[in-house]
Amino acid sequence: MRAKIVKYYPLIPVYAAYLILFLIGKNVPGMWQLMAMLAFYCAIGQAFNIFLGMTGYVDFGYVAFMGVGTYGMALSIVHLYQVEWLGVGIIVIGLILAVVMASLLSIAVGAVALRLRGAYFAIATIGVNEGFRYFIEGAKIWGGSEGIIFSGQLTQAFGRETASVLSTLWADIIIFFIAGIAAFITIYYMRGKIGYALTALREDEDAAKVMGINVTKYKIIAFITSASLAGSIGAMAWALKLTYVFPSEVFEIHYTIECIIIVLLGGAGTLLGPVVGGLIYGLSKYWLTVVLPGFQLLIFAPIIIIIIVAFPEGVIGVLKRRVRGSVLEKFII
Amino acid sequence: MALLTLENVTKRFGGLTAVNDFSLEIHPGESLAIVGPNGSGKTTLYNIISGVYFPEEGRVIFEGKDITTLPSYKRAPRGLGRTFQIPRPFGSASVRENVAVGAMFGTLSGTVSVDESLAIADCYIERVGLFPHRDKAAGSLTPVEKKLMEIARALAMRPKLLLMDEALAGMHPKDIDAMVAFLQTIQEEEDIAIVSMVEHIMRAVVGFAERVVVMYQGAKLCDEPTEQALCDSRVVEVYLGHPPGEGHA
Repeated sequence: MRAKIVKYYPLIPVYAAYLILFLIGKNVPGMWQLMAMLAFYCAIGQAFNIFLGMTGYVDFGYVAFMGVGTYGMALSIVHLYQVEWLGVGIIVIGLILAVVMASLLSIAVGAVALRLRGAYFAIATIGVNEGFRYFIEGAKIWGGSEGIIFSGQLTQAFGRETASVLSTLWADIIIFFIAGIAAFITIYYMRGKIGYALTALREDEDAAKVMGINVTKYKIIAFITSASLAGSIGAMAWALKLTYVFPSEVFEIHYTIECIIIVLLGGAGTLLGPVVGGLIYGLSKYWLTVVLPGFQLLIFAPIIIIIIVAFPEGVIGVLKRRVRGSVLEKFII
Repeated sequence: MALLTLENVTKRFGGLTAVNDFSLEIHPGESLAIVGPNGSGKTTLYNIISGVYFPEEGRVIFEGKDITTLPSYKRAPRGLGRTFQIPRPFGSASVRENVAVGAMFGTLSGTVSVDESLAIADCYIERVGLFPHRDKAAGSLTPVEKKLMEIARALAMRPKLLLMDEALAGMHPKDIDAMVAFLQTIQEEEDIAIVSMVEHIMRAVVGFAERVVVMYQGAKLCDEPTEQALCDSRVVEVYLGHPPGEGHA
């Protein structure tokens, strides 16, 4: 039993970081938005890491899963706001719908694209978010290019007070929870058979197959897990928080790139990495917005170059090697 | 009954016939060496047996079941293990994790937990003498250590048939003798059929194999008990060239 708990020790620094963010946000006036943004970056990093970090496949269309998740929540609110007895159930249904839609999309994308490897997979997925956006706009489904604005429905369903608390407070709090769940799933996978399978296939897919690993199965599990977490993040951080969704905004490739930076910066395939990456990235972006407004977008390129050249293992990747053999080893992976 | 039977297997790459109408029987617990010069089709043959390639013609039968087109990942749980000519460790994972992968997805797949796999891994790491290195990243091992790790990983799969691809190449003669002795012990203990593929380490062939199959240009040149095979004039010719006086035109 004790041995089992020891395996989950690395969650301690992760949860401690989230708790600190949460407490600062709650207690220091004016900090909530910043802390919520940091939690958002940690959460998407953590969700994306389950796929990118653990399998080594780069999915440039990742934001599409967040996008459809956003639509899941929007559709639930728009269609169910008059059903009074549902109450907060509307949000729960929205979240479930977001997860289901994102995982269905990931199955569809995965079934085709996961047959490809490396750069070919990356290229095949680049089109997914753009394609989905043009599909929504062109086919004029879900409001087409005008999107869905549902602040009115939200207010009607819950009243002005509650609606405002839902979108300014609970949307953010749930992001903290999703980040926590993503961290738990990450370590659960790492410690299980699937983690070994993913490491093996990341290092050498052909050798992994010969060793008896059904690589397609494990890649798809990681892909669906990662996508459904992304869907739930979209549902909260974009739909419920902003109370509108436009296809031109939620299918933006630069969110995918932010995810990639966070994961690589912190350390791909590590548990603590996306948290560290999310914090560093979020803070530097925020700081640049304040000091050099408009320049924050310029940091992408230099960050990517510096990471890849100077420390491809990321912050935690390097740290992990340093603490090998010390007490900290149990906590940092 | 034969453990593995190859029936008239042919594999072509475009115009090149890498393995040509090749038949072979491997019996449980036997030790067999497949030898042949570079390009004679040995590695292709291994890839056909382990399911990396499917042959154009012929059948592969393992324990009475036709596995000709069975995906490679389904063959390992049935008892087919292999090592690679150039070791292919899962570099970032530790030696222990590498070997545990073998235990987890080999014939014990589904019956052992992660912790049990790690325990099995420790046991085989100990046996190949890598215990002091077990927490190192597999990628940081020396080439010989990587080979030993691959052997441990393949053994942890508890295979019925183990295919070793040039496992002894590049080793010191002393180490080769030790390895051969080790393989013989393991083979007796666990009743594994071991097929070893060697290019030119006759020391290993003589020490280890009961039977030798010589491949030449994708076909079987001879299939005989070791002593006879080594005296076979065709084998000598393929390996060493023509005896003096008979030379090429």
